[in-house]
Amino acid sequence: MILFILKRIGYAAPVALGVTVVCFLLVHLAPGDPLSAILPVDATAEMQAQMRSAYGFDKPLPVQYGLWLWKVLHGDLGTSIATGRPVLSEVSRAVSNSLILAAVATLIGFTFGTFFGFVAGYARDSWLDRVASAIAVFGVSVPHYWLGIVMVIVFSATLGWLPPTGAGPQGSGNWWPDPEHLRYLVLPAVTMSVIPMGVISRTVRALVGDILNQDFVQALRAKGLSEFGVFRHVVKNAAPTAIAIMGLQLGYLLGGSILIETVFAWPGTGFLLNAAIFQRDLPLLQGTILVLAMFFVTLNLLVDVVQTALDPRIERA
Amino acid sequence: MSLHNRVPLAGTALALALTLTGPACAQGVLRIGMTASDVPLTTGQADNGGEGMRFMGYTAYDALINWDLSRADRASELAPGLASSWKVDPADRTRWIFTLRPGVTFHDGSAFDAGAVVWNLDKILKQDSPQFDPRQSAQGRVRIPTVTGYKALDPMTVEITTKTPDATFPYQICWIMMSSPANWEKQGRSWDAVARAPSGTGPWKISGFVPRERAELVPNPAYWDKARVPKLDKLVLVPLPEANARVAALRSGQVDWIEAPAPDAVPSLKAAGFSLVTNLYPHNWTWHLSRAEGSPWNDIRVRKAANLAIDRDGLKEFLGGLATSAEGFLTPGHPWFGKPGFKLSYDPEAAKALLKEAGYGPSKPVATKILISASGSGQMQPLPMNEFLQQNLAEVGIKVDYEVVEWNTLINIWRAGSKSDSARGGTAMNYSYLIQDPFTAFIRHAQCSLQPPNGTNWGYYCDPQMDKLFDEVRTTFEPKDQVGVLRKIHEKFVDDALFLMVTHDVNPRAMSTKVRGFVQAQSWFQDFSPITMAK
Amino acid sequence: MTAPTTLASVDPAGGAATAIETAELPIQGSRGYWGSVLRRLSRDPVAMAAALVILCIVLAAIFAPLIAPMDPFKGAMARRLRHVGDATYWLGSDELGRDMLSRLLYAGRLSLFMGVLPVVIAFFIGSGLGIVAGYAGGWVNTLIMRIIDVFFAFPSVLLAIALSGALGAGILNSIVSLTVVFVPQITRVAESVTVQIRNRDYVEAARVSGAHPFAVVRVQVLGNVLGPVFVYATSLISVSMILASGLSFLGLGVKPPEPEWGLMLNTLRTAIYVNPWVAALPGVMIFMTSISFNLVSDGLRSAMEVRQ
Repeated sequence: MILFILKRIGYAAPVALGVTVVCFLLVHLAPGDPLSAILPVDATAEMQAQMRSAYGFDKPLPVQYGLWLWKVLHGDLGTSIATGRPVLSEVSRAVSNSLILAAVATLIGFTFGTFFGFVAGYARDSWLDRVASAIAVFGVSVPHYWLGIVMVIVFSATLGWLPPTGAGPQGSGNWWPDPEHLRYLVLPAVTMSVIPMGVISRTVRALVGDILNQDFVQALRAKGLSEFGVFRHVVKNAAPTAIAIMGLQLGYLLGGSILIETVFAWPGTGFLLNAAIFQRDLPLLQGTILVLAMFFVTLNLLVDVVQTALDPRIERA
Repeated sequence: MSLHNRVPLAGTALALALTLTGPACAQGVLRIGMTASDVPLTTGQADNGGEGMRFMGYTAYDALINWDLSRADRASELAPGLASSWKVDPADRTRWIFTLRPGVTFHDGSAFDAGAVVWNLDKILKQDSPQFDPRQSAQGRVRIPTVTGYKALDPMTVEITTKTPDATFPYQICWIMMSSPANWEKQGRSWDAVARAPSGTGPWKISGFVPRERAELVPNPAYWDKARVPKLDKLVLVPLPEANARVAALRSGQVDWIEAPAPDAVPSLKAAGFSLVTNLYPHNWTWHLSRAEGSPWNDIRVRKAANLAIDRDGLKEFLGGLATSAEGFLTPGHPWFGKPGFKLSYDPEAAKALLKEAGYGPSKPVATKILISASGSGQMQPLPMNEFLQQNLAEVGIKVDYEVVEWNTLINIWRAGSKSDSARGGTAMNYSYLIQDPFTAFIRHAQCSLQPPNGTNWGYYCDPQMDKLFDEVRTTFEPKDQVGVLRKIHEKFVDDALFLMVTHDVNPRAMSTKVRGFVQAQSWFQDFSPITMAK
Repeated sequence: MTAPTTLASVDPAGGAATAIETAELPIQGSRGYWGSVLRRLSRDPVAMAAALVILCIVLAAIFAPLIAPMDPFKGAMARRLRHVGDATYWLGSDELGRDMLSRLLYAGRLSLFMGVLPVVIAFFIGSGLGIVAGYAGGWVNTLIMRIIDVFFAFPSVLLAIALSGALGAGILNSIVSLTVVFVPQITRVAESVTVQIRNRDYVEAARVSGAHPFAVVRVQVLGNVLGPVFVYATSLISVSMILASGLSFLGLGVKPPEPEWGLMLNTLRTAIYVNPWVAALPGVMIFMTSISFNLVSDGLRSAMEVRQ
């Protein structure tokens, strides 16, 4: 197992390096002088000189990359143009907010997704299956930012049950899962959860169907194993894949929360990215994306390890 | 630093506040949804335009000269601030003498004196001073372009000199906020640290903020003007740049007051029991046209055609009536309005004729790029309004393409000038102006010497005749004669169609009926001190 | 509705789930096989209904100038935000008094274009890369696939936003960003299918018999690979539609006054208290298109999975 983990890390390392290259190049993708892309328009001469040397814009690209990577490895993601605050502090605050939202949404999605998936998988081609599958297709096809707007219309504007925006009555400072903060979480989390719900439910349905169709399950049944016994067996076999999908979904939601966070003014990474784009704050954009992508790489690694540990069928190198 | 003690429910928060502060000043918490996308800069010279100064400038800080915001029935006027009086030296009219108010202390307890004034001017004007702050300088420098020197004559008297005699100087210095030198030292001479623990002399103290989410201000009981010690327990500012999010936040009780509600939401807000407050204020919503080389707006016929193409009454209808259609650069009926010959009517045929004369036509439309923001202080509803203009202009043969940027970014581009790279080839920008005094109304946009980076003549307009009129205003210290010159300037602004003049805002804000005692001054700034919250 | 049994679920947040059980993809390159797939598809009522919806939306978009009752760009302030069911404006009017029906019809052009084109371009680039990597093997495969892995390290929404954000707003930039998002996903599928085909006996035999590699690719590999990859690509269209409209919704895609569903959803947001139905309409269009593409793709997949 340890060997497998080491091998998997050895595989993830070059990917992580590649991610830093892509993030580095983002600044150079922007039209115009890269220096002007990372400076306030009325930057003083000293600021320009400082940035030029920090990024080494007069040096060849690979050297610039090296310089930049060295800073990143030391926790220096640069300074936000718009606020003058260090990017790292902006991102770390936002990441924790996004994580709260993405984790809760994934959990909701996983709970309902596995439920619908099992129902559909067990009752294949019945009306139950059709309903559960329809819900799943809805989940993967609905533009979630639109769903968010509809939720605000119904539950905030019309019924007045839940707050429409923000992370809490006093912002996200001191976030704690108390009733008042949870009220703020409901709408964005439920809206966001339709995606993992759809994906997980489709996956679980397929898994359950496959497992039930396998010869040995028929054999177990024939041998007189109770339905509960068969169910346990199905769960055991479906769990590793379902959990793996759930882990990946967490990563997708964390990285893809920009639309939902914009609709609900949730002070997370998506909100930050939106601000960065419209303030033309490329250091902030670059830093946020780097942190999110690295998180995703790590999550992928963890998912692989956990899945391997859980699933007896996957061979460990 | 830890800013917010977590409290489970809003109701208990209030109850808690009551028991802690005693019944004497238990006047509640007011939460305001701003249009800015971030908490304005807290160190003194606020960013985010007029709104930044409204909420983070004149609340926590004072200028030497403040605004009298106590009345709703007339245009706001200057009032003594940290200077109890000021005068121009009759022998040398470039010398201004400010007599400072005695006994004023900053929130950190240190004393305010002439040294602090000099220190604060160095903060924004003297690049090699240790306290020079590029961020505050960027905001403040362009407000006082005429200042050439300043010194303390004694601990309570300051002398400021201007390049040339300038009767409008008091209107410029009222933008400059005084932050505490002692606090800057205490915070390790770092403005970033000061931003987290700021200290001014204003009626409110900034007790904390979460960037991009909220800021909290509490009363300064030691404020020098006892009549303006705030009655509330706390003022909470929430950045909500999206018009819709602001309305939703108000309806759901997340905030008690929102700036610039979407006009479409106004009837339903009224129906839901919220009150709408409006008043005239010196504002205009324009396109500032670039006169840089290659700009189509260099041709007066194109400028006039654009002005004749706008259906201003249609736009007013779109704004739910919450606007005044422009008849000139200044609000209709303004004492400086004069009698311009060019009437801003809606006449697409005349516009087409002018364009044809200028060599354009259906097969060869004027095609250009305009910079606009998605929200912002005084920008009203920039996206749909500009789309409306785009439609109007397209009908006469002016094809515009928009570049949408965030409000603070637009302000930065505005300071950098239309020739800078950051303008990305835009030949005009949609910008709303505070037009309070001769300098903010005219001079800063149109004087040759104020082209960037020296000032905010964004479009690089330069006309010696106009400059001569400006000199005349500056040297005319007799108010009645000054008005005569100002009328001539305004007539020239309109007759030369220097801007695309569109509309004037009426400063709508929607608020809960619990908000009591608010007097909406005819100003970009407001006084939050007399407000209380009903239970 | 019958559902697929592979794990390549459609996933708006992340594109393809990484586990693609290509082993189950039938490798039947003959004409007869595709004929039978189409026959089975035509017997799937859900997929056929969805295909009909897509056809209608596409035709409506193409012929918008002929069928739209009004000019989609011309509005009148006095007639703004009419409700659905209005005598003149059947689907109401928008915030600038423009006819919603006409705008929704016209908007289909840009929305479909921006949703479908990235997948089409990515299909060609991705299949090419995947086939080269899969057939060549060795260091070529390693090089291509490791680069692809780097792009897989970005959740697709994040990658699209990152590229669009850096490149700036605009239709072209959005299409480029979305194409970059889909190329790695298609490449991965194409590579894995190609590797399977290459190892089949008949392909191996052709290779050993000394046939020119291009001939082998053309005859044996192309025919067998493009089918499954095409089916996979159809499942991406729905994701692409949602993402493309999402970019416009954020202000990164189409610019006003061009009608586009995502942008319309954005500009109509201020009207949700006055006229929620009209404000919700563009979202309904995105949803209908996206779900239809998903259902057709599902149908196609299950039609292919029935083993002969």
